[in-house]
Amino acid sequence: MNPSLKLATVVLIAFEISFTQVLTVNLALIGFSLIVLVVQRIHFKTLLWLTAVPLFLASALVWSLALQGDASHHFLAVIFTRMFVYVYLGATFTQTTQPLALARSLEQNAKLPAKFAYGFLAAFNLLPKIRAEVATIHAAALMRGQVLHFWSPQLYFKVILAAMNWSDQLADAMTSHGFVEGAPRTYAVTIPLRRRDWLLCGLGFVVVQIGLFVGLP
Amino acid sequence: MATITIQHLTYAPPARETPVLKDLTATFRGGRFSLLTGPSGSGKTTLLRLIAGLTPLPTTGTITFDDQALASFPATTHSRRVALLFQEPSTQFTMDTVTNELRFVLENQAVDPAQMPARIDAALAFVGIAKLRDRSLMQLSGGEQQKVALASIVAMDSDVILLDEPFASIDPPTRQVLMTKLVQLCHERHKTVILADHDLSGYDQWVDHLTVLDHGMATQLSAAATQARLAAFTPERLRLTQVQLPAPDTPQVLTSHQLGLRRGTRQLLRPQDLAILAHKTTLITGPNGSGKSTFFRALVRLSSYDGTITYRQQDIQKLRRRTYARHVGLMFQAAQAQFLNVTLGEELALSQKNGQHAYFTPDRVAAALKALQLNGREDQVIYSLSSGQQKKFQLLCMLMMAPDVLLLDEPLKGLDLASIHAVRQLLTTTQADLKLTLVLISHQLSGLDSFIDYHLALADQQFSYQAQEVRHES
Repeated sequence: MNPSLKLATVVLIAFEISFTQVLTVNLALIGFSLIVLVVQRIHFKTLLWLTAVPLFLASALVWSLALQGDASHHFLAVIFTRMFVYVYLGATFTQTTQPLALARSLEQNAKLPAKFAYGFLAAFNLLPKIRAEVATIHAAALMRGQVLHFWSPQLYFKVILAAMNWSDQLADAMTSHGFVEGAPRTYAVTIPLRRRDWLLCGLGFVVVQIGLFVGLP
Repeated sequence: MATITIQHLTYAPPARETPVLKDLTATFRGGRFSLLTGPSGSGKTTLLRLIAGLTPLPTTGTITFDDQALASFPATTHSRRVALLFQEPSTQFTMDTVTNELRFVLENQAVDPAQMPARIDAALAFVGIAKLRDRSLMQLSGGEQQKVALASIVAMDSDVILLDEPFASIDPPTRQVLMTKLVQLCHERHKTVILADHDLSGYDQWVDHLTVLDHGMATQLSAAATQARLAAFTPERLRLTQVQLPAPDTPQVLTSHQLGLRRGTRQLLRPQDLAILAHKTTLITGPNGSGKSTFFRALVRLSSYDGTITYRQQDIQKLRRRTYARHVGLMFQAAQAQFLNVTLGEELALSQKNGQHAYFTPDRVAAALKALQLNGREDQVIYSLSSGQQKKFQLLCMLMMAPDVLLLDEPLKGLDLASIHAVRQLLTTTQADLKLTLVLISHQLSGLDSFIDYHLALADQQFSYQAQEVRHES
């Protein structure tokens, strides 16, 4: 499916279920996402993380709601499953989409300015570099007798400083390789936006709408 | 084949009063290979960035390409006119793989997609890296990345090719390949090539005119003067009259067993046993890109390695990170990586608190600051210091921590002579008083003689201790 359209579908569905309370739809979305993830051969460890984190947050939220107010069991179940819908839907999107394909699609199909599309892509490509930078900052601090934790402001100060530096370097790299903001470009790889993509997107929507408004619990 | 003329160019970077370039006038002839040289900080990078259009031109001064002003070029045709290859290999790419980067370059020039594969093939073949086509850029070595950067410029077919110290972090064989390709571009495709380098070795057969940049002004040498200057340039010689081969019973502080190092798929160090000797000063030398810094990063557990490294008979992987970091410290090559605070005062306070405060009394620190010409700057923001000042301050902060073993990665880089002297003095006294083990990597070799006990050379993927009087290779 076309990456931009897929992103739009996922975001819109997530937005819709934020304002509706249909447990069946939440469960169906979770089931659908899990099937896609398994078919896509997601690593078991990744899936475990994707489950553990929302489990912790959702449990905490539901627990405090249950203690505080007079929320119904149905409402608590909706809140609990909603968290999983967000995470699993997001994972379904990232597992089935190449960042480069998304950037190209955003540029070609969604007509986003090329600067944003490639900026997003470059930021994605920077992730390993950020990880290495964090390790270096930790080591530099330890050598000075200071232990930095993930909540230490100094860590973020240094990472932001490095990121600002990288963004300047990236702008230079793009310019020196001929990138000009707003100038016409050609596309080495065309990302098609077919009728099939629209149909899939529409179908998904209609099914979710029916589920939400037909009166299911 | 464009001739570049620069007239009355004065440029001061933002937030700096003294101009880097002062009323500079120079000509670089079309279709020739020009070499630009000058001490570090003389403005080579600034000048190249101005010609490349990466830094906006100041109102005073003009740069023309064959009598057409640089400022009048439409932005869209810029990359066909001029392209710049950076000093730092890894910072010049936008995309993830070699092919995607080349596609990006051609897309930017609005090349017809049908023509792209052929142009990419041709550019890769010209530089001789067809086999790298699908590799991830981040996993390539510095030398390979520079080759990809050159292939991008070949694909763009830029008329003027600028290179800013392109060989600073790559090995000699790769440098040779790149030089041959550049000369070929110049002679066969009539490109104008301007290369900035402070190391003038190995250019005599290629270059007919040398431009020297100093104190913001450029002087073009005649052909004869150029040849004389290039012939007179000999890489700084390493004269170590005091070094010895380590005696077998010398106490060791860091011992490695079958240590092997890799970068990506490339072997930097073939597995070998190696010892660093306690309470002595060891100098490590070796060609650019041979793995000296990687060795340091392995010693402080920032890089992975094969084999085992032990610190005083204990495997360093089994020691607590926190404890080990207090015993073996690294002064990073990039000074800014070392700092954790904003002002000099805060940074000093941190070292004072956690470091060797019995030795580094406030008086001693004040004296050291004065010797390094950093006194009276306690409230200044570290990041507003010049790179030389940052380097000196970084050294002081790490010395105050006085770890058992201090690894120094290019501690003298970019320092003027007076600073080098002060730094050496400080290192010598502290080492003698606190019995530290110092290991340093340095390309700056003058005046190190009396200070070095052992010389460890890295060549052909092997470390070996050297006896006296060895010529430095790079």
